Amino acid sequence: MKKVLGLALGILTAIGGFLDIGDLVTNAVVGSRFGLSLAWVVVVGVVGICLFAQMSGRVAAVSGRATFEIIRERLGPRAAGANLSASFLINLLTLTAEVGGIALALQLASSVEPRLWIPVAGLAVWLVIWRTKFSIMENVTGLVGLTLVVFAVAVFLLGPDWGTLADQAFHPSVPANEGHAVYWYYAIALFGAAMTPYEVFFFSSGAVEEKWKVKDLTQSRANVLVGFPLGGILSVAIAACAAIVFLPKGIEVSSLSQIVLPVALAGGKLALAVVIVGIVAATFGAALETSLSSGYTLAQFMGWSWGKFRRPARAARFHLTMIICLLVAVGVLMTSVDPIKITEFSVVFSAIALPLTYLPILVVANDPEYMGTYVNGRVTNAFALVYLVIIVVASVAAIPLMIVTGAGS
Amino acid sequence: MSLPPDERPPGLVLDARLHLLDRQILDVDGVPVCTVDDLEVHGVDGSDRPDGAQPAVVTSLLSGAVLATRVFGGRPPSSRWHRIRWAHVADVGTTVKLGVRGSELDVTWTERWVRDHIITRIPGGSHDPG
Amino acid sequence: MILGDLLDSPVVDPGGARLGFVVDVRFALDGPLDGLLAAPRLHGLLVSPRTGTSFLGYERNGVNAPALLARWFAWRHRGTFLVHWTDVESVTGDAVALRAGFRRFAADLPGTPAQRP
Repeated sequence: MKKVLGLALGILTAIGGFLDIGDLVTNAVVGSRFGLSLAWVVVVGVVGICLFAQMSGRVAAVSGRATFEIIRERLGPRAAGANLSASFLINLLTLTAEVGGIALALQLASSVEPRLWIPVAGLAVWLVIWRTKFSIMENVTGLVGLTLVVFAVAVFLLGPDWGTLADQAFHPSVPANEGHAVYWYYAIALFGAAMTPYEVFFFSSGAVEEKWKVKDLTQSRANVLVGFPLGGILSVAIAACAAIVFLPKGIEVSSLSQIVLPVALAGGKLALAVVIVGIVAATFGAALETSLSSGYTLAQFMGWSWGKFRRPARAARFHLTMIICLLVAVGVLMTSVDPIKITEFSVVFSAIALPLTYLPILVVANDPEYMGTYVNGRVTNAFALVYLVIIVVASVAAIPLMIVTGAGS
Repeated sequence: MSLPPDERPPGLVLDARLHLLDRQILDVDGVPVCTVDDLEVHGVDGSDRPDGAQPAVVTSLLSGAVLATRVFGGRPPSSRWHRIRWAHVADVGTTVKLGVRGSELDVTWTERWVRDHIITRIPGGSHDPG
Repeated sequence: MILGDLLDSPVVDPGGARLGFVVDVRFALDGPLDGLLAAPRLHGLLVSPRTGTSFLGYERNGVNAPALLARWFAWRHRGTFLVHWTDVESVTGDAVALRAGFRRFAADLPGTPAQRP
């Protein structure tokens, strides 16, 4: 059991990266419009995030430095400041969406209006950040969030035509009624969602919170290799459920209650209860991850004292940042804005933050002054350079595609 | 035409942009204090506008560039800089470690202010998480 | 003087011709003892044909991985050289002027990468 709990950081990071409210909806939308023909993008994204999270975890364990500190040291204040602005906005937008997502999921469970749940959700997230130990937080949210595996179970219970699904996945093609630009827009959105920078900020800062050292390198690798592929598999499962139920009928997914419908069809009320618990846990975990990331990025950029392992009085500005971010999130949500629409805009900022995040990680992972003998091997460097090219291409294409396709409509 | 190699000076060699600027400063307990934003260099005879005629040394680390100037450029007036004298520095690695406590330095005043006026007023702020 | 004023200053030779820009400043910890460590003595200036931080010092620190990035960044700052502080005639707001008879040295940092901080 201790071994499983030791993987909680990787699982929680992956939940926030692959299964937050924005991804839940995007995966279902993609499944209902494109079937599994974009599943290959998830695979590419999973390999990419595994590569870079592994590097940033290794850097944090060997040198004790978290990723945004390295970005500041290696890029200098100007470029790091650009990354900070973009990353901070992504975090804030995503945090707002997650708190809204918690409220939406609780509405599914209780039929109580989401606006009443929003302040409750915001307060609950803050209380966990304020008082609970990092390890307890990650263990509970990680394990409960794993109940989303019910989506994978539902795929089997729905008794799909495996041939069609396999055909869509392994011979991807743009469906007849969709344009090429929209296909590539969603491809970039899925790739950006898989490699969102806050995942590495959270993972490497979490590694410092857990005080991982050189002897924990195997544990770091296990966290990455279990957590992110699991997140990817569940992403594809959500798309598959939507592909099985909605694609043949041409129904477009737009709300949370539609996303859980395939699970209810497959397993009845029990499965529905399980998936709602899973969604609440996953959005809660993503809210924790994004609010902690806002604190980590700003504190590490400015050189402040940070960390949940310190009592709040010893990391005052770090905690104040997160309090302000949560208040802003709750404030924005009370204006009845749709939280899911908010996440569409974070794609734009991801485009800027992605290359400015991953280049310094790659450089420091090769720097013997930080890493001693634990620098990257040739194979890792080769893959990383390939991914750097993909990341730059995706970041350059993201905004034009977003404009041309009207954000995928 | 290849340049002749420089003779190796005794002692650690540090390049300002590579090894000192933007580095994290930690206090004697390992708690982050601030970042190295700039360096103050004086001649050994005390002059503050040295040229090559006399040796010059770093006398203090400077910190305190506000967020706006760090992101957009420019420099705040010298009265706003916080100085950490080189005499307080204990070690230079991937971080700069001081030999004094952070709470004794001027530069941490905003941290202390937020702590005293906001964080400790909220219940639970002074306790370890758990 | 504040170091930031020196960085990115143009560097001119005794005749006034532009040689490049100060991209970094090299210190050696062999000055008089100041507190727990020796004071960093200003050893020399690193002059490069372009401004800007050399982005990770690839042309100086002997790190050559990842290969493509290292080559690209080293190429951008090829022609960087070191000038001793004793060869600096004056530092003004406009430029750093060098003395007649100044010498150029290779910009490499001494020792292997693992020995440095």
